[in-house]
Formats: sequence, C-alpha cells, structure tokens
Amino acid sequence: MRRRMIGLVRKEFAQIVRDRPLVIILLWAFTAAIYSAGQGRATETMNLATAVYDLSRGPASREFVSHLQPPYFKTVAYLDHEADVATWLDRGKAALVVIIPPDFQREVDGIGQAHIQVLTDGALAMPATVSIAYIAAISARYSVDVLERRAGMSANTLIRGPIIDERLRVKFNPNMSSSWFAALLELLNMCTMVSLLLTAANLVREKEHGTVERLLVSPARPVEIFLAKIIPTVLLVLICSGLSFVFVLVPAFDLPIRGSLVLFFSVTALYVFAMTSMGIAIALVARNMAQAVLMMILILQPMIFLSGAWNPPEAMSPWLRGISLLSPLRYFIDFSFGVILKGNGGLTLIWDIVGIAALGIVLFTFSLWWFERSLRVTT
Amino acid sequence: MASRLAAVVRKETREVLRDPIYLVLAIVVPLVVTTLLALGFVLDVKNLPVAFYDEDRSPLSRDYMSAFTNSEYFRLVKMAGSRDEVDQLLESAAVRAAVVIPPDFSRKLGAGDAASVQVLVDGTFPSRALVASGYIGAIDAQFAATLRAAHLARQGLIRSSVVPVSVEGRVWYNPSLETKNSLVPGLMVISLMFYPALLAALVLVREKERGTVFNLYCSPVSRWEVIIGKAVPYVGLAFFVYFLLLALNLFVFQVRFVGDPFVLTAAALLYIVASVGFGLLISVFCTTQVAAMLVTFIALMTPSILFSGLMTPVSGMERSAQIISRFIPASYFITMVRGVFLKGLGFGHFAFDLVTLGTFAAVVYGIAILGFRKRAG
Repeated sequence: MRRRMIGLVRKEFAQIVRDRPLVIILLWAFTAAIYSAGQGRATETMNLATAVYDLSRGPASREFVSHLQPPYFKTVAYLDHEADVATWLDRGKAALVVIIPPDFQREVDGIGQAHIQVLTDGALAMPATVSIAYIAAISARYSVDVLERRAGMSANTLIRGPIIDERLRVKFNPNMSSSWFAALLELLNMCTMVSLLLTAANLVREKEHGTVERLLVSPARPVEIFLAKIIPTVLLVLICSGLSFVFVLVPAFDLPIRGSLVLFFSVTALYVFAMTSMGIAIALVARNMAQAVLMMILILQPMIFLSGAWNPPEAMSPWLRGISLLSPLRYFIDFSFGVILKGNGGLTLIWDIVGIAALGIVLFTFSLWWFERSLRVTT
Repeated sequence: MASRLAAVVRKETREVLRDPIYLVLAIVVPLVVTTLLALGFVLDVKNLPVAFYDEDRSPLSRDYMSAFTNSEYFRLVKMAGSRDEVDQLLESAAVRAAVVIPPDFSRKLGAGDAASVQVLVDGTFPSRALVASGYIGAIDAQFAATLRAAHLARQGLIRSSVVPVSVEGRVWYNPSLETKNSLVPGLMVISLMFYPALLAALVLVREKERGTVFNLYCSPVSRWEVIIGKAVPYVGLAFFVYFLLLALNLFVFQVRFVGDPFVLTAAALLYIVASVGFGLLISVFCTTQVAAMLVTFIALMTPSILFSGLMTPVSGMERSAQIISRFIPASYFITMVRGVFLKGLGFGHFAFDLVTLGTFAAVVYGIAILGFRKRAG
C-alpha cells in the first residue's frame, strides 16, 4: 500500500512541477506578490496630495502652509484661479484643497479669527475625513503660536500654558505597521488560494480527460487516491511558505517571529489539508474547469475579504458574522497572528486549531463519501 | 473572411450557451460576491465606538469629553469604572478607542500646566486606528488652543479669547461620507476586470488541454480571427453582467449617481474588451488551465486592487507605486467610474482615460494574436 501511495504522490508532483508557467506563478505568488502587498499597504493613507489656494499670499499664510508636511501631506500645487480648485479635485490629482482667505494676514495680526476652508475628495471617505482632522490639529497648534505672539511673548519668554499632553498608545499592533500585517495576510491568502485551486483543478482535469477511470481501475483505494491528491499540495504550500519567510517576510519586512515556527507550519499543514478537501468537494460537483473556477470564486472571495482581517467584525451584519464562523481562513488568520505576532502557544490558540481540524475532517469525510458514492453510480 | 470570423464566434457562443450551469454561474457569481462584499465591507468612518475613564469628574473633564461626543465621529459606548474595565472593553473590541482622564486634569489645566491624557487606540485595523488617532489629536489640539486663549485673556495679555484660526472642512462628491458610495462602484471595477479575464483565460488553454486546438491549427482561420472570434462572446457576456452590476449599484445599494450612464457604459465596454484581451493573452501563453487560473488570480487581481486607487488615492502613493498604477487598466476605469457616479463629469474629462484604455486593448490583442502560433508544440 505504501508503495502505491508513493507512486501516486510522485505522479501528482511530476504533473505540477512539469508545468513551467505554473511553477513560475507559484514562485511569484509566494514571493513577489507578497512583497508587493506589503509594500502597497505601507504607502496607505499618508502623503495626501494637497493643493493650496492661497488668496492671502502673506508671511502668515506661508507659515501656515509650511506646516502641511509629510508624512501626512504632500503639497502638489499652488493654485492661481478659483476654477483650478474644481479641476484638481475632479481629476483626482489632489485629494484635498486648502483655501486660505484674503484676510488671513489681517485677522492673524489683529484680534479676530481667520477661517480656513478645506475641501476634500469624498470619493474615498477615509482620507477625506482624516485630512480634515489633521488640518484642524495643525491650525489649533498654529493658533497657539499666534496667541503667544498676540500676548507679546517671544520664544525665549518661557511661559507655561494649559496643554493637553496626549499619551497615545496603540494596542495590539503598536507601530501600526500595516506592511507586516498586509504581507502576512497575503501569505495566508496565497495558502488558501493555491491549496484550493491546485487540488480542485487537478481533479477536474482528470475528469475532463477521463483519466479518473484509469485511477479507479487501478488497485489504489479511494482514500489513497485522495491522499495522493492532497499530499503534494500540502508539501508544495509548506515549501513555498517557507520560501516566503526566508526571502520576503523576514528580510523585507522584519517580521518578528515571536512564537514557534514548528507549531505554525504544522497547523498550516492542517489548514491546507482542510482547504484541499474543500477543493476536492468542488471538483466532484463541477463538470468542467470553468464551472469549478466560478464555484471556487464564490467561496474564495467572500472568505478572503470577510475573514475579519480587512474590516472589523462590528461592521458586519450578525448573519454574515455567523457565516464567517464556517470559514477555515478565519481561524487560520487568528491562529497565525497569534503565533507569529503575539507569540502565543498552542494552548492559547487551541480553539482555532480545533476549528481548522474540525472543518478539515468534515470536508474530507464529505468529499470521500461523495466520491465513493459517485463511484458506485459510474461502475 | 468575415464568415470565418463569424463561424468562430458562433462556435464559441454555442459552447457557452450549451453549458447552462456555467452560464448561470458566470452571471450569478459576480452579483452574489459583490453583494456579500458590499454588505460586509461597508465601514463608515463615523460613529467610532469609544469609552472614557474619567478620574477627574470635573466640569472641565466633562467639557473635554463632550468635545468627543458632540462630534459625529465618536459614539460613546461606556463610561468605564476602572482602568481594568478600559482594557477589557478594548480587548473585547467593544470599543476601538479609549481615553483616560487623570485625577489632576482640571487642576493642572487650571494652573496653566500640562495635563497628560492617556489615549488607547486599537491598532488591529490600521486604517481605522489612523482615523481614530487623527480625530483625537485634532480634538486635543483644539481643546488646548481654546483653553490657552481663555487663559491668556484672563491674564489680560490678549484682548479677545477667540482662537485665531478656524478650519471649516467640506467634503465634496460624497457629503454624507458614506463608504458605500465609493466601495460598491469600486467593486464593479474589480469584477469587470477579474471575471471576464478569468473566463477568457480558460478558453484557449482548454482547447490546448483537450487537443482540439489542432483543429484550429489546421483550419483556414487566421490567428486574429481566432483571438477576436473567441473574444466576442465573452465581451458580450461580461457586458450583460455589467448592466446587472450597474442595476445592483443603483437600485439595491442606491449608490449616489449624478453622471451620465451613457458615458459610463461606453467606458465599461472598452474596459471589458481590454480585460477579455488580458484573459486571452494569458490563455495564449499558458499550457494548462490550472496555470492560467492562477496567473489571472495573482498577476491580475492583486495589483488591480492594490494599485488602482480603489483603497487609497493614487495621488498619495509613492513614486514607484504611481508608475505601476499607470500600467493597470483598472486605474483608468476607476477614475471614470468615480467621475461619473460621484462627480458627474462628462466625456470631455475622460478623453485621456479612454484613449489609454483603447491603447491597452490594442496592445494586448496585438500581443495575443502574435503570440498565438498556428503550429504544434
């Protein structure tokens, strides 16, 4: 029996490795794609392209504008005409326009109040609101400078004033480094995608070519055929994940590995086993590759995007949250972040592991049962 | 010649129509996935759940807290009774931010000193954490400026206690700041790149795997007739799906739409032609359906999401990312989609985007036709 298994596994492996474009895209998926996801996320939200429409053109307005600094703002243009304001926002060349009124200098030098207007492009709600908040903070700090000047204090007359000393602490992801987060998440997504697609596609291909029959008349039992389809994918995904740790995650993003990698890779193997079982179930239902692909997307996309990694669960409706409990990816993300970023051990994460294992066993038994049933029908 | 092209189109159309399960899936899957993602993803930047732990319990600390609760950006969930409760609220994700006001808050501020306030923000979702810390920073700075003005006025050092500079923010195009207005049309951009390309990517490799590609090799049809003929039915199918997605946007999610549907439809057609072309290009160069599938998933989808400006404005990206985004058709279509849906811009604004998309399509089909060699091996 063992010899038979080894033979089958070797056959599956050879089939994958001999497909040159497939090998290239797999390597790309676990290295360059993960790198670009991490990089892409790192550039998020900051350096908002800012256009300034300065009607005052005095030293005061120049001083104010000089506070619009990276990493929050990047001044891309000084506008001369009112019509430009709409053009820059319409074209999306600027994410916001700061309008400084003509009386800015007079008000700042006098005792009144100057009103600055900020127009933001609401097409992206998050940067639109956050930029207004940042400018409000800048103008409040600038106001304090103006107040001190009005009160006749120079920089060397040290006077204390009421200040709120804000001690900001970000919990759970201290430096808000979204590149770790995004890169690790992308690795988990790749594991999901590759293990599902590869197995399903391999089995569908055998169905399309009619070579399933060849397997069926061979002395191999259905369990063996199954395991032979699953094992190569598991090994391949483990090897590729290892590569992405060695070549991308650690060197490029300084991913801190706080927990045990042995634990991580063992559970990854378990997870890939669950996903490949799901792939086999799909392959058994679908008649051809095109059908199989669409069914997989129907499962994959919601799974990846509603895993709770992109958006907080409170944003999801309760029934959607209920469905997400059925997704193995959800447990896997919890587990991986726990092991790698928080250094948790197997005991703390036992429920995630149980969740993955339970879903894996259910999917495996289901597809095995379905496969044996369809055998009886065809023979 | 025209009849040969028509024959290829007819054959390919029949193949699609004769697989009803496939046809139904091809139409229904984009709609279902878009609906699920739209429901799960709509995340408003307003009403961030927040908790306070007020150890000072003074009129001043109440003023300070009302600066938060009066803004529409925070929603007070609970006044915590202890420091432990604050941690527990954050850990259970009942709140995404918490502010701890020390017992000497009003005393220190009254004396013109610095009072330290502890702000705790949940960093699990970086972009949300950024919004939260941005707002809290703004509220703190403004509260301090107001106090400073009052303080100096009390000491008679300035004549009026008004804060010298005020900021009025106005949000254009999406005044109610609803995320769905940018998200749901954005999902359409991704769908119309992904599905047409994926389905078209399987077309030629399928024939290669089955061996029926030899029929094409030895038939009189020329290379361009094969590629164009195979593209037509998929463009038609995707165009049909586009109308359904548009209806989903307008009638189910009631996304703000101020522009001209005709402009959008013209842009969508060009975009679909380009994405089907990308699929065929992949199909020409891959030998198995598995590989074609993975290439579409990884090489087409991820960059379209990351660099098109779907999540973050391209204008703020780094130079290298901006250059990448220029080579992604989704960047141009997303500009047009937002321009039409939210900004109400007309054809005149999109000349450049339309020409670029057209160029993309021409190049992609060109390479696909040249790459498809009518010989074995």
